[in-house]
Amino acid sequence: MRVAPAAVRDHDRDLAQRAAAGDRAAQRELFVAQRAAVHHALYRILGSNRDLEDLIQDAFLEIFRALPSFRGDSTLGRWCQTIATRIGYLTISRRRPPAVDLALVEEIIPDDVDTQRQAMLREATRRLYAALDRIEAKQRVAFALAVLDGRSLAEVAELTESTVIAVKTRVWRARKDLMKRASKDAVLSSYLAELGGGSNERE
Amino acid sequence: MSESDRLGPPPVEPLSDLAWSRIERGLWSRMDAAPAAEGRPARAARPQRWLWLAAPVLAAAAAAAAVLTIGGSDGGSGAPTDDQARLVSGAAPTTLSYGDVHLTLDADSAVVMDRRAGALLERGAAWFSVAPRGERAAFVVTAGDTVVRVVGTKFRVARSGEDASVAVEHGTVEVRFRGATTRLGAGEQWTSRRPDEVSAFHVAKRADAPAPATAAPLAEAAAPSPATMPSAELKAPIRADRPVSGPRTSPLPAPLPTPPARAHEPRTEKPNAEKPDAEKPAQIDDDAAKYHRLEQLEVRNPKAAIDGYLELARSSPRWAEPALFAAARLAADRAEPRAQRLIEIYLTRFPSGANVDDARKLLDHMQGANR
Repeated sequence: MRVAPAAVRDHDRDLAQRAAAGDRAAQRELFVAQRAAVHHALYRILGSNRDLEDLIQDAFLEIFRALPSFRGDSTLGRWCQTIATRIGYLTISRRRPPAVDLALVEEIIPDDVDTQRQAMLREATRRLYAALDRIEAKQRVAFALAVLDGRSLAEVAELTESTVIAVKTRVWRARKDLMKRASKDAVLSSYLAELGGGSNERE
Repeated sequence: MSESDRLGPPPVEPLSDLAWSRIERGLWSRMDAAPAAEGRPARAARPQRWLWLAAPVLAAAAAAAAVLTIGGSDGGSGAPTDDQARLVSGAAPTTLSYGDVHLTLDADSAVVMDRRAGALLERGAAWFSVAPRGERAAFVVTAGDTVVRVVGTKFRVARSGEDASVAVEHGTVEVRFRGATTRLGAGEQWTSRRPDEVSAFHVAKRADAPAPATAAPLAEAAAPSPATMPSAELKAPIRADRPVSGPRTSPLPAPLPTPPARAHEPRTEKPNAEKPDAEKPAQIDDDAAKYHRLEQLEVRNPKAAIDGYLELARSSPRWAEPALFAAARLAADRAEPRAQRLIEIYLTRFPSGANVDDARKLLDHMQGANR
């Protein structure tokens, strides 16, 4: 665990105390400071902004509810992301997998190279998250944070409140499962290879 | 795979400012709705010598759930202290007095009153009647980046996200906004969306129109009469020419303050021009309550809110204008295909409606996006 500088810890603790006491200005300061990180963590796990407005509210309600327990061991930002990750995990673990595959309709790809690349990225992302919808929730969260977001295994372990070994195993299993699902999907297979065919996650 | 062929990690699409505004309003609204459940320490109100609360004066206001939070001994970290009170209105406007300041909160609004620092408008809108300050420091209302300084007057401040608007009925106020100061006199209004402009604010005079507030004696505050209250805002239907601010998800700031009289009302709504408020009061209150309920519903179930607004626009001539605009605004928020059509219908039906400027902007924005 990275230890935050003393000044940051003091500021975080003070802000947390004031927000926990119901000071709306402090709550707003916390919201404004952490909203991007909370959104990023949720988006990475869920793959789109659909339903995210409600989930961000849920995450902050949980953050404000839990503030009295914030001890300042990690930064407030990391602590908020941990809660956001938990909300993301609960959301996908309660979600039913889609009943049917997404329609594979070929897009008309324009000639412009950049636009073409964007379209390919969009399609690869869509297929990736469609495949992620079908794997176990903990594996998905670990894969999303470690591989898609490029966070270290230690950081993912902190965010998911588990151990580095557990995270490493989940990422490995997720990749294996995804590669299996991508065996007949050249686009997804190629994209997974680009995202790290080997075990390149940082410890 | 060459470097140029790499697609990179999946992008994280940012949320728009409008979406953040919706999220923030919804969040605070949920925090206020269930403070205990959400873990926010709820403080019991306790009597203060200097705090006089007036009861809501109308039946509509009876539905309001005003929450008063007064700081206790655990203050000191910026939470409300003994010198502060946090006032939150529910589904209907609420009128009360704080020291010698009378205020009428719009539905679903929140303000922190401080004996020394003035008022912090957290959300929504409020009319303030401030007694002449004499030797005392000026009364200050803060709404986001907007600071309104006043020495004794009646004025309204509305806030939507970081946007604020100010309208003055009596006296003079100074509005400070991002380093610039604007002076507003009686009958003038200002908005942070156009900070360099001051426009006219037409105040419709009523027989019971309030005089500028003076120091309110205790008895008077405890049993408010129309003459001592900013009554123009008390009767919900009077505000039918504009939607009140609530937990809206609007891409637009709170509607500009408009005359409390029904300046934009269709003629057919005034069979009795002298006593318009005498018309079907129960129906009026019903429609007002319906509108406020729909505002609350916007965050939880926007689709149902749109349908409700459209129904209200069909059934209530008095609330048709704000309801139709609210439906159009919400549909635009949700990028619904019918949004543009609704705005066009609004502009056709209410060419001089209170939200025409906003509707036109919204339409321009949508047409620009379609091009």
